[in-house]
Amino acid sequence: MKRTLPLLLILALVVVFAYLFATKGVISAPTELRPLGKFYLEKCMIGGDFAAGSPEAVTSILWDYRGLDTLFETSVFFLAIIGSLMLFSFKVKEVVREQELTLVVRSVTKIAAVMILAVSASIALHGHLTPGGGFQGGSALAVAPLLVLVAFSRKILETSGLSLKRAIVIRSLGLMGILLTALLPLTLGGYIMQNLPIFPKYIADQLTSGSLIFYNVFEYLAVGAGFTAVFLLISIPEKNFVEEEK
Amino acid sequence: MIHLVILAISVLIGLVFSYLAITERDLLKAVGFSAIQAVAYAIAFYLLMAPDIVLAYVAISVGIYSALLIFLIRKTGRYEV
Repeated sequence: MKRTLPLLLILALVVVFAYLFATKGVISAPTELRPLGKFYLEKCMIGGDFAAGSPEAVTSILWDYRGLDTLFETSVFFLAIIGSLMLFSFKVKEVVREQELTLVVRSVTKIAAVMILAVSASIALHGHLTPGGGFQGGSALAVAPLLVLVAFSRKILETSGLSLKRAIVIRSLGLMGILLTALLPLTLGGYIMQNLPIFPKYIADQLTSGSLIFYNVFEYLAVGAGFTAVFLLISIPEKNFVEEEK
Repeated sequence: MIHLVILAISVLIGLVFSYLAITERDLLKAVGFSAIQAVAYAIAFYLLMAPDIVLAYVAISVGIYSALLIFLIRKTGRYEV
């Protein structure tokens, strides 16, 4: 066991240093909020002109106070996905029969996939009320088709309606939704990505936090479908790629 | 107090398994170690009151990241030379 000795050494060092730092009081947790954090916590739900209309400070910062940051982050993420779509622009041979995993794995996958879909929807759609949001929900959503892809086959996913083309279409619809929600305030005399009062805080007596719920839903679709598209491509074995004739 | 103990234990588990993942020559095993490390860090994030991070981190680091690496290992080679 060549690896045990260095591991024990590292562990001992970490524990000793952590103990020394903790007892000497070099590093201590802050006991009170910083002014900036206090501002966001107080104003995110009820803050007049500064309100985002949501009790969830993280989502408020992500899609309202620092909305442009998230918008550009999203565009970087989708440029990466466009890059991988380009890399895989081969023709693919039709496969008649693919190998599936055992009955136990398939049964568990059937149950787990449905549960993951429900949980991801709840993470994304309650993103403006409880921890969570579009990106978190979308990445959880992408795990469900991934499990089906591994336990069953690529073919089943495609015949049940989630083909590569459809995943890309859903992803593009999500992106369009984000863009339209960001640009809509401009046409109504507001600023770009403005939230309240352009978007209503309540819809049918439900707290929807203005534009936050729209951003969350569209990001959910875009991230989930984007990851799914990449996985649909990356799961193709190399031997099924066909060189295009020149 | 008890949450600090759990925090220390989970972070140490994360440290051990990230060391194992780095030094392991069987890459499939290394992906497994890295997934365990991710679970330990998710517990740490939860105890540090960052539930938003936990939700994204669990889905990405245990599900998507591991699957991506396993697909790549299938396309290249299982053992590190």
